[in-house]
Amino acid sequence: MERSNFTSEIPIYEIPGGIHPEEHKTESNQTAISSLPLAKEFVINLKAQAGNRSAPTVELGQSVLKGQVIAKNDGVFSSFQHAPTSGTVTAIEKRPIAHASGLEDLCIVIKSDGRDSWVKLERNEEYKSLSREQILARIFEAGIVGLGGASFPSHIKLQRSEGIETLIINAAECEPYISCDDKLIQENAVEILKGAEIISHLYNKLNIIIGIEDNKPKAIEAIKVAREKLKLDVKIGVVPTKYPSGGEKQLIQLLTGKEVQQGKLPADLGLVMHNAGTCFAIYEAIIDGKPLVDRVVTLTGNACPKKGNYRVPIGTPVKHLIDSVQTQDYQQLIMGGPMMGFEIHSLHAGIVKATNCIIMAAKSELSQPQDVAPCIRCGECMIACPASLLPQQLYWHAKADEFEKAEDYNLFDCIECGACAYVCPSDIPLVQYYRYAKSSIRNNRLEKIKADKARDRHEARLERIERVKREKAEKHRKAAETRRKAAEASGKNDAKKAAVEAALARVQAKKKAQAEQSDLKPKQDEGS
Amino acid sequence: MGILSSPFDKKPNSVTQLMLWVIVATIPGLIAQVYFFGFGVLINILLASFTALITEATILKTRNRPVQRTLFDGSALVTAWLIGLALPPLLPWWMTVVGTTFAIVFAKHLYGGLGNNIFNPAMVAYVLLLISFPVQMTAWLPAAELAQNSLSFYDTLSYIFTGTSSQGYDLNHVRQGVDGFTMATPLDHVKTELSQGYRIVEIQSSPIIGGLSGIGWQWINLGFLFGGIVLLLRKVAAWHIPVGVLAGMMLMSGFLYVLSPDQYLSPLFHWFSGATMLGAFFIATDPVTASTTPKGRLIFGLGIGVITVLIRTFGGYPDAIAFAVLLMNMTVPLLDYYTKPRTYGHSKNQGNRHVR
Repeated sequence: MERSNFTSEIPIYEIPGGIHPEEHKTESNQTAISSLPLAKEFVINLKAQAGNRSAPTVELGQSVLKGQVIAKNDGVFSSFQHAPTSGTVTAIEKRPIAHASGLEDLCIVIKSDGRDSWVKLERNEEYKSLSREQILARIFEAGIVGLGGASFPSHIKLQRSEGIETLIINAAECEPYISCDDKLIQENAVEILKGAEIISHLYNKLNIIIGIEDNKPKAIEAIKVAREKLKLDVKIGVVPTKYPSGGEKQLIQLLTGKEVQQGKLPADLGLVMHNAGTCFAIYEAIIDGKPLVDRVVTLTGNACPKKGNYRVPIGTPVKHLIDSVQTQDYQQLIMGGPMMGFEIHSLHAGIVKATNCIIMAAKSELSQPQDVAPCIRCGECMIACPASLLPQQLYWHAKADEFEKAEDYNLFDCIECGACAYVCPSDIPLVQYYRYAKSSIRNNRLEKIKADKARDRHEARLERIERVKREKAEKHRKAAETRRKAAEASGKNDAKKAAVEAALARVQAKKKAQAEQSDLKPKQDEGS
Repeated sequence: MGILSSPFDKKPNSVTQLMLWVIVATIPGLIAQVYFFGFGVLINILLASFTALITEATILKTRNRPVQRTLFDGSALVTAWLIGLALPPLLPWWMTVVGTTFAIVFAKHLYGGLGNNIFNPAMVAYVLLLISFPVQMTAWLPAAELAQNSLSFYDTLSYIFTGTSSQGYDLNHVRQGVDGFTMATPLDHVKTELSQGYRIVEIQSSPIIGGLSGIGWQWINLGFLFGGIVLLLRKVAAWHIPVGVLAGMMLMSGFLYVLSPDQYLSPLFHWFSGATMLGAFFIATDPVTASTTPKGRLIFGLGIGVITVLIRTFGGYPDAIAFAVLLMNMTVPLLDYYTKPRTYGHSKNQGNRHVR
């Protein structure tokens, strides 16, 4: 694949590990971004962002315009959702979602009226007159989340204002097959840089670095032209093509030589990183007043006859996309890249804000489940790991359910990039073991919390019972006492009198008996 | 288990490929060995390979494991190959069979099979034979150009299977050098002479000691060095262990050599004699039984180098790669435990902080 000969404008540091899988990018990045016919029905997943599920604000049968809010945030760690086209809300129910689990979740279904008419948009070239809070609120209300893959709500990432010095635009796009950011930069570099300028403005000017792999020469050229035009000070950091250089932590290490310390955030290094696509979305939200209702998606794979990048409304069902490109027999349908994506289980699921690519893989294009051979401890996985973990030890411990030891080996520093499984000569699905171990540990923690709560409840209950018992006994004792006291109070003298009388009676009875006895006795003494 | 989650992309490599590369890379050394010591080594390799595959198949069946897939993963073949390369060329056939069977059954499968054994199976076989049959196991031949009597393929076969040549000569016949004395390996020779009070310079005037380390042996070592470098370039083996072995050897023997060059062999002599290069690149690098961390591998290699020189110099055996490898195999769990690399975003010493 073509490499840029542009020399990086900032020093580039080394990252450990990494792999060089076949790139497969030229298949999809040769044509301009285009559109597909509008789908008839849109399925908008309300839990498509990191954080809380959005809360629907529309009713069944309600007609909506493109860009109209259909669901709003539930708490601050959540996001807004907008109608991707004009039409009618036909269902608010659980539907299969685009997720590795293949599970269902709450979705809003909109039947398109075919007109695709927008709500009234409020353009605002003069964003600089807005306050920080106002801009953040607009970003929030435009439903913008990180478009690189994690779907982390952008307003939260932008919240912290102290100590930030540098904005890194992540344009590395290191996963094979995907070329949506590459194309977006080629065609909209000006808007992306303007978006970056808006972010910079939020912090009263940041240093801006754009990190990009050297396999995108045209995009690099486009950035050069755009910054010239905007007279914007942007440093281009060209990193060697190596997966996973686009991981947030990895790109930071490549561009700054620094590591985000365990438990810390990039912000602790004075950095904030946003994906190129997110910068574009921020530009559209602030300048054009457009909420995030569509994104660029790479449709590719050997079973896709019209490989390329398409601007696709959020919620477009996968089936509509594969039908629109008239795909031939495909063996596998992958959402995302081949390294970190997942297999699509339901064709009726709608694409989400994080959907950057759909691979329609032909037979034997991607690897098929293999017979797993025993681990021969060759250490290839360790060499490939970008986090300098020991994937092999993690594997042994995960396999043996020795979760504590797996944690000792820093299991939670694994970013699940899949480099280890890619190089494993024994075809061991390593990442799957790590996911298993991680979720088991998380479950155990939850269980522990639950168990602790249950124990606390149980102890509280026992204590309550004990207390009630104690209180009852106390009450009884008090009642008895009161009774006794009351009795004493009312008949104090009688009792005494009675006792005296009883005693007297006893004495008299005794005397009487004695007298009777002496009467019966013969008076022998007197007579003898 | 099938692939249920990412990644869906896979480097086209396999255990079998790695194993085959190891075998291919031994070929230059093997050719040198055939050139100098005849076809014995080839017959040994064949014997060991058959034994290994039959034993492996039998035991896999007994253990209810998939026979076909595991049998041809190449691991048993590599073990056999290394045993064949390490044994003296005219060793009686049944010793090769006993050693190989022991390696597969006891050193490999009783630990759980491929990936679970602690000790290098080929070296277990070698040491078993060495301590059981020390005479036969140290009966090396003089290099072809030094031998008084040449050795045909048919004679080789005859020696291995009957103990005598086709004309009925015993082993000493072919072990005689041009000067009429029975020839030992250069390392053996040096050891014997030193014990008789000779100085290194005097010993080195002997006809079997020539060039770097001795006629024949230097070329065999050069052959394995060449194949080993191919392995490193192909990334079949990591550089840490071979470099560790050679560095360990250099440090230990260099230290002794500086103390007294009259009594101790030079590092270069150590490097190119005996099983050094075969050991450094092909035996010590067995991933199953070696350390798995970069630092651990370096220490593992250093240990092998140092122990080999110590036993060669002060021990009762002329060569010691096998002992050194087995001794270092024992240290692997400890090495792995204390040489964990620093994880991204962690401070230096956190790697070994343990909740125990």
